[in-house]
Amino acid sequence: MQIRIDKAGMLSTVQDLGRPGYLSQGVPVSGAMDRLSARIANQALGNDMHAAVIEFAYGGAVFRAERDLLIAYSGEGALLEADSRHLPSDRPIFVPKGTEIRLMDTSKGCHTYLAIAGGWDVPEVLESRSTYLPAGIGGVQGRALCKGDVLKAADTPSARTRQLFNRLISDAINYPNWGIARWLLLPADRRVVRIVPAQEFTWFEGQSVVDFLSAPFRITPQSNRMGYRLEGPPMRSRTKRELLSTAVVPGTVQVTGDGKLILLMADSQTTGGYPRIAQIAAVDMPLCAQFKPGDEIFFREISRNDAEKLYLHQEERLKKLSLAWGMDERMNL
Amino acid sequence: MDLLSEFAETFTIYSLCEYAVTLEFDDEIAAKTLDRIVRFNTQLNEHPFDGFRTTVPAYTTLSVFFDPIQVMQSSQLRGINCFQRVSDYLKELRYMPGKTAAYPSNAVTIPICYGGEFGPDLDEVAHRNGLTPAEVVQQHSTALYHVYLIGFTPGFPYLGGLPQQLATPRKPTPRPLVPHGSVGIAGKQTGIYPQDTPGGWQIIGRTPLPLFDATNRPPARLKAGDQVVFQPISPEQFYTNS
Repeated sequence: MQIRIDKAGMLSTVQDLGRPGYLSQGVPVSGAMDRLSARIANQALGNDMHAAVIEFAYGGAVFRAERDLLIAYSGEGALLEADSRHLPSDRPIFVPKGTEIRLMDTSKGCHTYLAIAGGWDVPEVLESRSTYLPAGIGGVQGRALCKGDVLKAADTPSARTRQLFNRLISDAINYPNWGIARWLLLPADRRVVRIVPAQEFTWFEGQSVVDFLSAPFRITPQSNRMGYRLEGPPMRSRTKRELLSTAVVPGTVQVTGDGKLILLMADSQTTGGYPRIAQIAAVDMPLCAQFKPGDEIFFREISRNDAEKLYLHQEERLKKLSLAWGMDERMNL
Repeated sequence: MDLLSEFAETFTIYSLCEYAVTLEFDDEIAAKTLDRIVRFNTQLNEHPFDGFRTTVPAYTTLSVFFDPIQVMQSSQLRGINCFQRVSDYLKELRYMPGKTAAYPSNAVTIPICYGGEFGPDLDEVAHRNGLTPAEVVQQHSTALYHVYLIGFTPGFPYLGGLPQQLATPRKPTPRPLVPHGSVGIAGKQTGIYPQDTPGGWQIIGRTPLPLFDATNRPPARLKAGDQVVFQPISPEQFYTNS
């Protein structure tokens, strides 16, 4: 299976679930901004959850099937269209050779993930296929996709993937009438992000803490895969203390010297010296990955224990989903 | 009082996120703290717990990353949640006899071409500290440094041990591009930029030695705990070596 990129879109990179093993070397974890959507796109094809996907920011990209394809996509940055016909997300889709597929903007979110049967075949760098642009590693030659790039699928699909392909193969675009109910894995209120107070939470004035947990914060255009700058009431410190650089992770909310918030994302640096007011609950990071400049969000406090329970519960649901997916006789293809 | 406690390492533990905790050993930078962190890190890597993934040493902290699913499934770990299970293990590990005699630290010599196009801020650092550029080079290249942490960008070493006379504040406005290999000073720290990145440190020289190569294992040339000395080289030597 093979595609050619005809239009690259705003920022398109190959990602997987990242390279967590080299944090002590200063290498960011990287990987898909919205890990949930990346995993669902892979799961819909019977791929390993670590298989490489293409991450698209917004719509605009166009690609052509140079061979027959079995693809799936998930996320909220774009809808896929072929021959002016909308393709449903979160399910396997057979695409015959020669088809042109366009990513059409939605106003909903930012990132969309394209998985292919077997995963995209790019070399592993430090045990991951994720692109990390600042160091030029991973993905396609360490860079964003360009017009003319040809991407192939790894030719080692799982038995489940081969089975799906054989059932869906046809002369035209073909997909089953079921899909993964991604929205069931996300909270209903998409503007509220749950946080756990971080280690320096108590460094801030009472009014700042009240503002933090009640006022809206706006995503600014100074936002990228490393992090988002947020606009809102200033956070004032009660102390002159300075933090010595220590580990930070995606989801860490830092407060800069002028009281502004930075929400660290997938390409977050590994250590930072700004005080940390909060840590986003890991289960809400997929929501954050879909925010766009101009979006207004609110923070709601939960306990560390609750954040951990939510995480374990989410993983349990994803595991059950993949087991259910294996029982294909009942899937009524 | 615990009989063993006077021999045991002391630290406080806080949760960093669902899949990491941070151990805080002290609240100020000190060579002794670095030594304790490196020793405990070695100890932990020799005695990993179920689900242990990796660690990130920093100035006064060691962050420990794990897989929450494996931690909860482990029969080795006890406790009602991940934080408790991992914290209890790490507290117990303090009492486990380790190979405390030696830990694998390296002494690395890094060649630097000081001043000129390689070190555009050498004169400013000299001027601010009432020294001549030659004196800055002499002091910077005769001190012994310790790598406190690797962070900021892949392979970037934060070095402690800068002679006090050389301490210089960061530039008020960061440069949009600092060439890779540049050696800088920020306050009491010195460090080396492994990639071309924006940066606000005072650049006094540049090394031809690559500090990060994704095809090497480990990819970073230096690690926390390593000792570093700088050796002045000429521009000719710089170009021959790069």
